Amino acid sequence: MKSIKLTFTLVIGLLLTGITSLSYAQTSEYEIDGKTFGMPEAEVFTEDYDGPPVVGDHLSMLPNLEPLDYEGNKTHEVRIDIIAQEIEVADGVKYEAWTFGGTVPGPVLHVREGDRITFTMKNRSDEAVTITQPTKEGSPFMQQVAQNNYMKAQEATMPMPHSMDFHAGTVAKDDKWRTIAPGQSIKFDWVANYAGSYIYHCGTPSVLMHTAMGQHGVVVVSPKDGYDTGYEVDKEYVIVQSEYYLKKGPGDLYQYDYEGAQNRNPSHVVFNGHQTILHDQPLKANAGDRVRFHVSNNGPSGTSSFHVIGGIFDRVWLEGHPFNEMRGMQTVLLGASSSATIDMIVPEEGKYILIDHEFADAEKGATGTLKAGPREK
Amino acid sequence: MNILTNIAPVKITLTVLAAMMLCLTNMVGAQVLVPSGSFHSVMPEIKGEPVEVESFYLDSTAVTNQQYNEFLQDHENWKPENVPSIFAYKGYLKNWENTNADDIVNPNQPVTSVSWYAANAYCQSAGGRLPTLNEWEYSAQLMDFESTADAKEFANRLMSWYSTFDNENMGAVGSTGIENRYGIKDQFGLIMEWVEDFKPVVADDLSLDCGTVGRMQKLGNAYSYAASIRYITRMSFSPKSTNSTVGFRCAYNVETMEDKKSNL
Repeated sequence: MKSIKLTFTLVIGLLLTGITSLSYAQTSEYEIDGKTFGMPEAEVFTEDYDGPPVVGDHLSMLPNLEPLDYEGNKTHEVRIDIIAQEIEVADGVKYEAWTFGGTVPGPVLHVREGDRITFTMKNRSDEAVTITQPTKEGSPFMQQVAQNNYMKAQEATMPMPHSMDFHAGTVAKDDKWRTIAPGQSIKFDWVANYAGSYIYHCGTPSVLMHTAMGQHGVVVVSPKDGYDTGYEVDKEYVIVQSEYYLKKGPGDLYQYDYEGAQNRNPSHVVFNGHQTILHDQPLKANAGDRVRFHVSNNGPSGTSSFHVIGGIFDRVWLEGHPFNEMRGMQTVLLGASSSATIDMIVPEEGKYILIDHEFADAEKGATGTLKAGPREK
Repeated sequence: MNILTNIAPVKITLTVLAAMMLCLTNMVGAQVLVPSGSFHSVMPEIKGEPVEVESFYLDSTAVTNQQYNEFLQDHENWKPENVPSIFAYKGYLKNWENTNADDIVNPNQPVTSVSWYAANAYCQSAGGRLPTLNEWEYSAQLMDFESTADAKEFANRLMSWYSTFDNENMGAVGSTGIENRYGIKDQFGLIMEWVEDFKPVVADDLSLDCGTVGRMQKLGNAYSYAASIRYITRMSFSPKSTNSTVGFRCAYNVETMEDKKSNL
């Protein structure tokens, strides 16, 4: 009798497992206007992997962008695991973030238009993972975090189901962006069909909560023929604006502020995940440099009126697409999950403040410094 | 006030009310009668109709490490070293150092990192079963609050709790001070819990995105927001999932319990 009961339970369990994986049609690849569509079905599986949570040659920590040291297109093998991590996001403000790779925002992935990405992600939210030990494995991101742990990241666990939604990918969300339980992994391919800077984020409801808890980052897709400028830039930085909705918890840590998130009343609005990081560690350039900013507003709910005090944006490509060129802009308005690639000529030696010109946001932290040295050329 | 405002009054028959009184003196681990009634689920069931739930018995507290350890002594096949991988992920009982010791660590804490299969096996051996999703939710929502403000404050606390479980310092069962009007304790504030049909068939029809949370806001209060997080999180589990924040308690059919009592 017992064994019959057990068998029945197993059958029910298998049915429950199967419900999420009702056969998705295997589509075949095709091209329209030189863009590739029709990716193979995502694979959900379990693996023993316990290595670095971020793996790949072209993944970096903000504000860095790894150079594309190859010609033409390639396939990137990329891993960004989901881990919980206790991080500091402003002086004395720590919380247990839900992250891609251990920081908020997650690592910056840099690819070229037309590149293919084979992406693997393990939901390790129920596993204590350290990201601050020096390692040569993994990715430039892992080394940069170990050398510059400005979020004071410490391991934490908070098992939750999660998923990955790359805005740079053109696929069916019910297959590729599937939610996976703690302990599960997912693997899928996508092709970077469009140039520009695109956010990625967790798409598991409440998406507001998951993104506010820290699950977002940026993919920079460089145009295959570059931007039509006739010059090379001297410096290239990635800036991500985002909001935190935190309130003091019963202990030392802060917690998610549900009401603040619902009412769009953030506790902090920040560049690169930390209230003062771009003042503590200013971006650097020299007078006369052409500086390129890839600016993304990852939200989750606010807009950004991005401006640099003392500068005018020489050229702006909305969403980072080379066809969307604007000239001479003082401020670029970015909706939630919107981006721009911005070239600016640094006028003279001194200090330039990057700012969300919506001052309520600026006063909650959305400012940074570009420190310019003397002209060298 | 009842947090389930705008809801048909919960129906309680006199007989079950009497039976209920007998159970009010429950202690940790006691089985408590939850009288039949109805509640509004956040799931897209029959529009506007409350979900009817028959009377059932429910453990007043979650199954503890000690109780689970006792189960393992009689059911060696559920010990971590024996469990086949089709029944649990590798993290099964990962917070346990020794399953043979008499002095099990944190005996009064709820057992966690157990798969749905394991929870089923335990409840079967206890003469019960896992509560259904509707039974669990119905019981969980049978809470009384002094005022709307209190209910709102509780709902906000619940959302913070769903964002950050302190699983390093988990309390003993019965320690949260949260209980429903029949004395079922800790359905919130301690762990999340397995239910029999944690992934209802309708789960596949729900497009799991931001809109899902929106359409689950049927109760018109923050409490239902927390409920939607709970439903969605639970639906995303695999029956093999072994999360450090997920445990269980057992339910029992009324007939089973009556048979048990008459045999005493």
